[in-house]
Amino acid sequence: MILWIRFTKQNFMKYISHLDLMRLFQRSFRRCNIPIKYSQGFNPQPKMAIANPLALGTESFEEYMEIELTQRIPEDDFIKTMNKDLPEGIKILDAKYVDEKKSITTYIDWSHYEIQFMAYNVADLDTLEASITGLLERDQIIIERERRKGNKVITKNVDIRPLIGNITLSKDKTVETSEREYLVTINCLLKSGDRGNLKPIDLLKALDKNTNMNIEVDTADIRRIKIFTEGQNSIEPLM
Amino acid sequence: MIDVSKLEKILKKVEKPARYIGMEKNSIQKNLDQVKVKFAFAFPDVYDVGMSHLGLHILYNLLNSQEDIACERVFAPWVDMEEQMVKENIPLYTLENKEPIDTFDFVGFTLQYEMSYTNVINMLHLGNIPILSKDRKDSDPLIIAGGPCVYNPEPMADIFDFFVLGEGEEIILEILQKYKEHKEKGYSRIEFLKEIARIEGIYVPQFYEVHYKEDNTIDRMIPLVEGVPIKINKRIIKNLNETYYPEKLIIPFIDIVHDRIPLEIFRGCTRGCRFCQAGMIYRPIREKNVDTLLNTAQKLVENTGYEDISLTSLSSCDYSQLQLLVTELMKRYEEKNIGVSLPSLRLDSFSLGILKEIEKVRKTGLTFAPEAGSQRLRDVINKGVTEEDLERAVTFAFNEGYSTIKLYFMIGLPTETEEDLLGIKNLGYKVKDIFFSMPKEKRRGNLKVTLSASCFVPKAFTPFQWVGQNSIEEFNDKINFLRSEIKDRKVTFNYHDPKLSYLEAVLARGDRRLSQGLIRAWEKGCKFDGWSELFYFEKWMEAFEETGIDGDFYALRQRSFEELLPWDFIDIGVTKEFLVNEYKKAAEGKLTEDCRQGCRNCGINRSFLGGVC
Repeated sequence: MILWIRFTKQNFMKYISHLDLMRLFQRSFRRCNIPIKYSQGFNPQPKMAIANPLALGTESFEEYMEIELTQRIPEDDFIKTMNKDLPEGIKILDAKYVDEKKSITTYIDWSHYEIQFMAYNVADLDTLEASITGLLERDQIIIERERRKGNKVITKNVDIRPLIGNITLSKDKTVETSEREYLVTINCLLKSGDRGNLKPIDLLKALDKNTNMNIEVDTADIRRIKIFTEGQNSIEPLM
Repeated sequence: MIDVSKLEKILKKVEKPARYIGMEKNSIQKNLDQVKVKFAFAFPDVYDVGMSHLGLHILYNLLNSQEDIACERVFAPWVDMEEQMVKENIPLYTLENKEPIDTFDFVGFTLQYEMSYTNVINMLHLGNIPILSKDRKDSDPLIIAGGPCVYNPEPMADIFDFFVLGEGEEIILEILQKYKEHKEKGYSRIEFLKEIARIEGIYVPQFYEVHYKEDNTIDRMIPLVEGVPIKINKRIIKNLNETYYPEKLIIPFIDIVHDRIPLEIFRGCTRGCRFCQAGMIYRPIREKNVDTLLNTAQKLVENTGYEDISLTSLSSCDYSQLQLLVTELMKRYEEKNIGVSLPSLRLDSFSLGILKEIEKVRKTGLTFAPEAGSQRLRDVINKGVTEEDLERAVTFAFNEGYSTIKLYFMIGLPTETEEDLLGIKNLGYKVKDIFFSMPKEKRRGNLKVTLSASCFVPKAFTPFQWVGQNSIEEFNDKINFLRSEIKDRKVTFNYHDPKLSYLEAVLARGDRRLSQGLIRAWEKGCKFDGWSELFYFEKWMEAFEETGIDGDFYALRQRSFEELLPWDFIDIGVTKEFLVNEYKKAAEGKLTEDCRQGCRNCGINRSFLGGVC
């Protein structure tokens, strides 16, 4: 039996890495006596997968995971038991049995992020908005991507424009903190998953490089709001 | 509470931020306004190391089981985090309530190894607490220490307010009870220290003065306050079955050094290896019974969700009911995919049989510790292992499908000769020969033999406490000799840094004059000395020179039996007479049998009422 699970990873839990989160769930399943299926072989591993793992430091209102069980337990019981055990910040929102043969990961196409960052060279809100629109109007946005091949680091130029669905400035959440200094909030829809993936941090870097707003990239607050799959004519929630 | 928004900002810039957030499953966060005593348990190393320490879990849960006590954890921030904390002006804080440590009543450090001493100083500094005991006021926390290193507490004498000797869970509540009483009637630091100095197991260094002879050895140690004991006895738990053991353990978010259930099966060790401090200071042997252990295991499995139970002790294969315990644990938990493991293995067939039972899966590597290369030298150190034992064990391992064998040795042991060193090489080559003497179709994997040599550090309260350590040059010569001798693709030779071992030897047998040198080394930037990438030997040597400390005096000098040693005022229950006798037997290469086979008169059953062992 395959169970799809929707959960949050908020507040301090954003500092837990993907592998740490896997371990956290495995131990929680064990404490809660969830009849999780194990792989065969010399080193049995629980059958579970977290779709499109977040980067360390990114929080999320909506993450997805699939697990395989050896026997069916009611979804509500699962949610209740697990939420009693899980640490503050990680909460199961929903769980649903599916007949899917395909892994949950293959359904993921887009992520909606809210990003908050400091910009140290902004004239006013309109200029800020114009520079974001300006970026979107480009045919190409080239960034350098690093890849590790053994000990070697290979950099490659990639066009990320096709990976950006939209970027909007959230004016009500953008405030001037001092002369030309702004705490900026943007919302964006970025490609996620196996068919193309753009990390929000790369978008920020591109925004910094292609505009003159002078962004402090490494302290940005990044939050995933929602994950979507591509339907016939629109993007839709996974469950 | 510290400024959490500042913390949020810096956590994005550091490696493994989850080290600094707390909030783990089974951690306990109390309302600090509603407790009477606030105790910060401090481990002077990073979170990943400190959280692997069983003593932390025992004391944390014991203290928090008391309604009016709150115990919170604090670890040494790694250098990246420290840099950010200093920049943002965040003081060292506890993980639970994120409260600066200087607001606590106690900061209790555990001293597990000498190379963490500078971290203690650094943590006090980051916590805005005066480093020297004499500079602290009534409003400052009491800075205390326990753990194996306090069996020679003198190098840290100027820093700590008091030391707790022996098993912490036996004595800690008594200390905190006294503290509560003092707080209720109007607290004065000095009056409190005077009273607890009378409790058995507590050593308040400021109440003693040490006089030295012209040759720099100790003349005498005199109490400055009336009523404080001349001898400090260690405290032990008599019956481990009835003592406190936690039913819950904090489950770290990040992968730590030992990420599993530690099921402590006994304390003490009966082997009597002459280099081993733990084997002497943790006497007598006290086992837990199988029922107690199975009950504890059940609760820990339920409350932690861990996938592995480790049977911990100094020499787990010596547990008298090991077969029964292992069989029972396997019966209960194998189906749930919970494994059982043994942290150390003996080389006999019984232990190997057990190994076969528990390690049904992962066949990676096996580690053995012959400690010395020749039978003669193994007899000197009373390591009762023979070459035949090793042959049998290795043959077994290869038959079982293992192909990676690691052998641990020490170099610089008393009476060591070139022949003994060659013995290290010979054992490694022998292991290789055993592998290739097996028929080709039976050999599995790719053979890898690792010979790992550490530099012998003589420790207090061992039969070798009088011995002069090899100099760094001697160690280097020996290492180079072995490096030139061991030339085989299948056999690798590893060794420890002799400079680190030299410093460890200075601190392990130093006196209270070393405090100043330690502080100076820290001022020069020394911390995390146990981490090779952060170990600056030159700075240490400068610090010693500037404070008038001769490291060789402590590390290299052979002491006479008559000399008053810095730790002689402590009574571990094992008599000096026994240690002297063992030293003499070592020189003759005579063995002292395991004391499970009969009492060897170390004195422990006379010093503690009831003859516990």
